[in-house]
Amino acid sequence: MNSDGKKNTPLREVWKRFKRNKLALGGLIVLVFLIVVGVFAPYITPYDYAAQDYTSRLIYPNAQHWFGTDNFGRDIFSRVIFGTRYTLFIGLVCTTAAALVGCALGLFAAFFSKLDNVIMRLMDVLIGMPAMLLCISIVAALGSNMRNMMIALSVTAMPNFARVMRAQVLTVRDQEFIEAARSIGASNSRIMIKHIVPNSLAPVIVQFTLGVVNAILMSASLSFVGMGVQPPNPEWGLLISAGRAYLRSEWYMCILPGLAIVITTFALNLLGDGLRDALDPRLKQ
Amino acid sequence: MVSAMHLTLALNNREMVTQMDHDLLKITNLEVLYSVDDDLVRAVNSVSLKLQDKETLGLVGETGAGKTTLALSILGIVPNPPGKVVAGSVEYEGIDLLKLSDRQLRRYRGKEIAMIFQDPMTSLNPVLTVGDQISEVIRLHNKVSQSDASSQAKNMLELVGIQSSRYGDYPHEFSGGMKQRVIIAIALACNPKLLIADEPTTALDVTIQMQILDLMNKLKKERDSAMLLITHDLGVVAEVCDSVAIMYAGEIIEQGSLKDVFEGESHPYKLGLFNSLPDIDSDVERLESIPGIAPDPTKLPKGCKFHPRCKYCTEVCVSINPEFIERTFGHFIKCWHIQPPNRGNTV
Amino acid sequence: MSVLLEVNELKKYFPTASGMLHAVDKISFKVESGKTLGVVGESGCGKSTLGRVVLHLLSATSGQIVFDGEDISKPSSARLHELRRNMQMVFQDPFSSLNPRQSVSEIIGEPLLIYNVCKNKEEYRERVLELMETVGLAQRYENTYPHELDGGRRQRIGIGRALALNPKFVVCDEPVSALDVSIQAQILNLMQDLQEARGLTYIFITHNLSVVKHISDDIMVMYLGEMVEKSNTKELFATQLHPYAKALLSSIPRARLDVKRDHILLRGELSSPVEPGDVCRFAQRCNYRKEICTQNAPRLEEVLPGHFAACHRVREINGL
Repeated sequence: MNSDGKKNTPLREVWKRFKRNKLALGGLIVLVFLIVVGVFAPYITPYDYAAQDYTSRLIYPNAQHWFGTDNFGRDIFSRVIFGTRYTLFIGLVCTTAAALVGCALGLFAAFFSKLDNVIMRLMDVLIGMPAMLLCISIVAALGSNMRNMMIALSVTAMPNFARVMRAQVLTVRDQEFIEAARSIGASNSRIMIKHIVPNSLAPVIVQFTLGVVNAILMSASLSFVGMGVQPPNPEWGLLISAGRAYLRSEWYMCILPGLAIVITTFALNLLGDGLRDALDPRLKQ
Repeated sequence: MVSAMHLTLALNNREMVTQMDHDLLKITNLEVLYSVDDDLVRAVNSVSLKLQDKETLGLVGETGAGKTTLALSILGIVPNPPGKVVAGSVEYEGIDLLKLSDRQLRRYRGKEIAMIFQDPMTSLNPVLTVGDQISEVIRLHNKVSQSDASSQAKNMLELVGIQSSRYGDYPHEFSGGMKQRVIIAIALACNPKLLIADEPTTALDVTIQMQILDLMNKLKKERDSAMLLITHDLGVVAEVCDSVAIMYAGEIIEQGSLKDVFEGESHPYKLGLFNSLPDIDSDVERLESIPGIAPDPTKLPKGCKFHPRCKYCTEVCVSINPEFIERTFGHFIKCWHIQPPNRGNTV
Repeated sequence: MSVLLEVNELKKYFPTASGMLHAVDKISFKVESGKTLGVVGESGCGKSTLGRVVLHLLSATSGQIVFDGEDISKPSSARLHELRRNMQMVFQDPFSSLNPRQSVSEIIGEPLLIYNVCKNKEEYRERVLELMETVGLAQRYENTYPHELDGGRRQRIGIGRALALNPKFVVCDEPVSALDVSIQAQILNLMQDLQEARGLTYIFITHNLSVVKHISDDIMVMYLGEMVEKSNTKELFATQLHPYAKALLSSIPRARLDVKRDHILLRGELSSPVEPGDVCRFAQRCNYRKEICTQNAPRLEEVLPGHFAACHRVREINGL
């Protein structure tokens, strides 16, 4: 127990270390801010993101339209705000799905050596293909929409989680406390759930933040080429794609959503780095 | 003025120390701080130590006492974040090493002062042959040709009991004990005046440890180096050392010749240490242990650092940190209640 | 005194690229109830492997293990699960033998949960606190985590965990080697007290001869997987028959100045435990080596009453 009587769990130690890293903390704050923005989007946006207004086409950013309007007269600021929902939804859902399946596979591969080869060779096959190509193939086969794009993103992200989890489990598996757990009669499932998994999460968490970044960028790219989210949905990649034709004159149509992507991924990267550093000394111990 | 009693005592010590002796190493009031997770740790707290030519001083203490930090600060290699030398001096042959720049210090490291680190398994570069690692040190400090350095290296190997034909072998081809011999060879290659050995035999099996200690004794007789031997094992101290300094919570609490420290008056901590050792030569029902544990280095007690665990503790111990008291010539004890020479269960 | 554990011709071999590694080779011994058998040897002698094989943490290659009269050499998994209640282990490294994500009470109480010993939460907590008290851990550490505690306290947690199910038999694998000297004494005293209070039977594995002398009733000395000498403690320290045991004893650095220092220095290094062949495994390093030593492996024989040694020249060397 520490001085304020709260449990001094390893988690608190990590948080204490994390807090010290100002950049990482900044990343976390930005992420939280984006989540809030996404959740409260309808209350923040001054205009309906889908409302077309032919009288206000292609207006440069001004007091009424902070990010200007597009060629349909839609307020870009509102569209970017709503785009946050897509970005976060896709990023978090795809990565979570990939993490759950990938980590389970990695855990079994490391714990049951008979399954190791089979599972990891399957993962190798998936990793062997260039991710973008794999995504495009899956979407082309299933149909170009957001749901199928998310499936594709999850599939391509999964092997990395499997690898990361497997590496960590292999290390943890050889620690004495696992042997100790066996000696007190713990079953395999108990050992996996109570002992191995909680001690294997550190690199997975770091991989998660990187995975979200990847998912966001990939989804923007896929939507940009028309293989993901379909117009008129305000996904950031789509916004950039729509602004392509007007890049020379109405640069804000591309640059501003692009900036949103940059800020988001930058914040996530800082968060990921900070988490890795905060979790690392724990691993060294 | 040296009285007859003092002279007799001096003659009884293994090393002849007179007040006119030349101090090879003189550490004065050294203080080293570490910042750990927002806390400040006094790793070394106003430590003063003297080492003469050819003297082997055993620096004894348990984990966290500050011995390794003390050793690292002599060579100026305390990791700079988080550690920092904040006060004191480390005089080697009269020159304060702490005031030298890194470039100037490099001339001392390996040549005048050599260090052996604790873990032989990781102290050698796995991609260089052992012979090359020895000759590398030689060439770093002396202007000699590669072939001269190699033959000197081969001599060093023979000196530490390894066949010189193994010059071209890699560290992984050697066992733990052999690796430690190589490390000793590297350390002694430039004939340093001072060798700092940090727990050189702790990671080794006891029969191998004896081989290494025997080697060290042999080398002691043949060469001119003084040695600062850091260890937690009093048995090792008895085997190789001429004098002993005992560290607790960053301070030296007792210091003197081997005989004085082993058989003379006692600081209660040292007494407790000896009494908690299970001894081969005697039969004890229950070991006497020192109650409690070493203090948290971020929350050191006021007054005497050992007082919370000491059965002789009184009011003065709680409030005032004792100074060194020299009741016998050359034997310093930092305690208000120095204990008589009695090991309790033996002698 | 009844025999609690009997081990016969126990072998544990590991397959390696260059052949079979003989980690434990034909070891036989008996341990009486309430007593301590010290197993001594240096690195590579197989003592830790032996401890694990006896507890079925590693499966034996061959040999017999009899516990409390029952042959448990190849137990079914259900039987093994039951047996574990009575056969526990205290591990060497107080840092890696505890799950860093479990609190003190969770670690100590886990065996109680696994075996469903307690009827309800209150009884569970009571048992855990009782165990903590038994091993000298103050109640306030109930919700602390291993990383907050020092080596000595962590080792107490390990001991508490081992005692949770009230076992009859505990294998202690170098339980004090990683601890500071002043803490070692505390833990050794604790283990002795527990043995007396609960009638525990110990196998105490260590490389430290002074520690083993203090706590053991009988001692067996291992070298490269084989038992080279066995006797009761008093006798072994008074007289060592095997050259390795002699060297081992003389190599202990004594923390006193009045003892004559007579060190037997062994030459060379450990030979390989892979496919050692029918030779005396200590011969390479032995100062008494003769031709027969490199041609034939010596058999363990009772040289003096109750005192066993495996050496071709044992009588010759010791003037018997």
